[in-house]
Amino acid sequence: MSAQVCASLRLKKKDKMTKISPENYVAEARKAIKNQVLQRALADLQNRFGRGTAESYRRLPEGPGLRLKAHDIRMQTIENLDVVLETLAANIRKNGGRVFFAKDGQAAIHYCLEVAQRHKVKRVVKGKSMVSEEIGLNDALINSGIDVFETDLGEYIIQLAGETPSHIIAPAIHKTRDDVGNLFADKLDIPYETDPPRLTWIARKALREKFVTADMGTSGCNIACAETGHITTVSNEGNIRMSTTLPRVHIAIMGMERVAARLEDHDILLRLLCRGAAAQNMATYVSYIGGPRCANQADGPEEFHLVVLDNGRSRILADEQFREMLCCIRCAACLNVCPVYGKIGGHSYGYAYSGPVGAVVTPLLVGINRAKDLCLGETLCGACQDICPVNINLPRMLLALRGKLAEGDTVWGVTPADRKEKFLFQAWSWMIRNRKWYDLALKLAATGQKLFTRKDGMIRRLPPPSHGWTKARDIRPLAAESFVRRWKKGI
Amino acid sequence: MSKSNQEEFINRVKMALGKPFSNERQKADLFSHEMPAETRAILERVKNRTVEDRKRLLETLTEAAEPINLKVIPVNDVGAVATAIAELVRDKDPEWGDPKSVAAWQHPLIESLNLPDALSEQGVPVVFTDLQNTDEADLRRRVIASYIGVTSADFCMADTATLVMRTRPGQARSVSLLPSIHIAVIEIDQIIADLKELYALLKWDPLKRKEGVTNCMTFISGPSKTADIEATMIDGAHGPREVYTFVIAPDDFEDDADAPPE
Repeated sequence: MSAQVCASLRLKKKDKMTKISPENYVAEARKAIKNQVLQRALADLQNRFGRGTAESYRRLPEGPGLRLKAHDIRMQTIENLDVVLETLAANIRKNGGRVFFAKDGQAAIHYCLEVAQRHKVKRVVKGKSMVSEEIGLNDALINSGIDVFETDLGEYIIQLAGETPSHIIAPAIHKTRDDVGNLFADKLDIPYETDPPRLTWIARKALREKFVTADMGTSGCNIACAETGHITTVSNEGNIRMSTTLPRVHIAIMGMERVAARLEDHDILLRLLCRGAAAQNMATYVSYIGGPRCANQADGPEEFHLVVLDNGRSRILADEQFREMLCCIRCAACLNVCPVYGKIGGHSYGYAYSGPVGAVVTPLLVGINRAKDLCLGETLCGACQDICPVNINLPRMLLALRGKLAEGDTVWGVTPADRKEKFLFQAWSWMIRNRKWYDLALKLAATGQKLFTRKDGMIRRLPPPSHGWTKARDIRPLAAESFVRRWKKGI
Repeated sequence: MSKSNQEEFINRVKMALGKPFSNERQKADLFSHEMPAETRAILERVKNRTVEDRKRLLETLTEAAEPINLKVIPVNDVGAVATAIAELVRDKDPEWGDPKSVAAWQHPLIESLNLPDALSEQGVPVVFTDLQNTDEADLRRRVIASYIGVTSADFCMADTATLVMRTRPGQARSVSLLPSIHIAVIEIDQIIADLKELYALLKWDPLKRKEGVTNCMTFISGPSKTADIEATMIDGAHGPREVYTFVIAPDDFEDDADAPPE
């Protein structure tokens, strides 16, 4: 990659990579729905992966019920997270690795920069990691003059394009082969191509040079193992193995919940993770990394650092209503079945985490009021829980968030979303408990609606404050006579 | 520095969990030091596998390997492996235009293939990844330049067609990663059924647990792949584009159930 491209990457990424914008949910969703290319890509993704995952659960010898057991394993770990994390850290240190506990994104970034500076790092290769998106690691490294290369093909594409991932495991799902062809022609100075195998090979060639010349590699962690002292990385491309084998230094960053207590827990969790993420029995590569290279080993990093990140997670842990969210292993299965994600795509959610998981996690991490549209936008259909490899009750938590928005909450600092709405519901509640007033209201409405009913018998538009109901649909008018009245008349 | 960070961090977690006090008992519950009965049964099963059982596992492996484009090739002896590798070297061209060279693990089974001899006719050098005769930088250069990497493996899980490799001196991780073609050579009794057996062996088998998981244990299931452009599955993203597994299964191989499975 030329110096020019690096410079332009630097500029573009500065304002895009860490932008948190859940406030734009409605506007972005509207845009996404009109984007035909995106609609096709999302439908294709959901047809393939959503169905594939469900099918792969059915093929499990233990059946889909294994997800319940996985939930228990995750919950047990989360409820003992203090002990589990201490064990993990002690074991990694015993293997010669270093562990840093970061309270927030800033502390994590500060630590990474310090390590990079100590080793005079000029070039970083990154394995895909959503937690690094969460804290804006790329930005920080780039701003301190380090070249950063995303190495997952999808991440590489969106980095070249100066965009953000639109899916947790298929980050460039919103790009067509023509988009990628144009992008590569433009940024890599090569002839225009649209053949996916060729495009993949071009990226393979371009990134191979980065892998062998990088001084530092970074990765996330899928599920660490406390009792042995290892992180695990799971990938199909091999880019994470490259990033964690070839450079002198390896920094892994993990959300503090991404750990299992025992080695045997990985049996169920890994099998379900691979199925949830890509309907695979096993991903191509799974690595257990527990420390730097040992004496006489020919390769592997000289230093291994693990950054354990809180960044708002302990607050989620403290709330029994939301603790369950920490069971999530970020496989993105819920994105692949969600009817809302399937229409609005990942960018609408305005943060690293999209889909149903984003609709719960983002409000909890960045502020419930700020990201209120995310939890209001979901349908509560329950598809996300049915496909979740660890059976997280996402609909319950979406409702709990809505409850906080309606009532307000001091612990989470939530101001009630709309006082007018609350007043209306109180009035409604009073009215339906008072028969006479209710009947009167019905009668008034039945008469009044004649003004709005069209010839075809449907109501196209209601007046304020009820106009929201007819924004996206026509509704039927009330019956001329209520059922109770007809019953009394003996029908 | 990190010690105090840890204390503060863990205290916050404890507060969040509503248990700011000691937790020794709970620790004992989580990390049991006694082998569960189920695990004992798994270890017995692995230990007492008959010739027939192992052949069945090889069949399972072959079936699981097919959809992920892993080529499993049963052979009778190391001689057949060496011949097959020499043929591959003859037929395949280097991806990046370097002169042909092969990187290989320093490992008893791999050394018994006598690859330098088998390839000398074609004039293709073999680099063994130990640091005895060369330095790290030179070795790295030569592995990067190799287009075929030959390794063994600790285990092979039949259910998912997964090679399991632990890191040791002489057995560089990059041999199964940087070359365009990866060849693994194992013996039939290294095939185990699944993850359950693997974890039981690593944690409880007296021989295996001594070495443990090591500083890097890698699972490899077929060639590197990606589906990041329009969800089209393509082999050869960053790692090897082709993976071959030679399984040495002597025709006359006797029922030696008492021997350790490696």
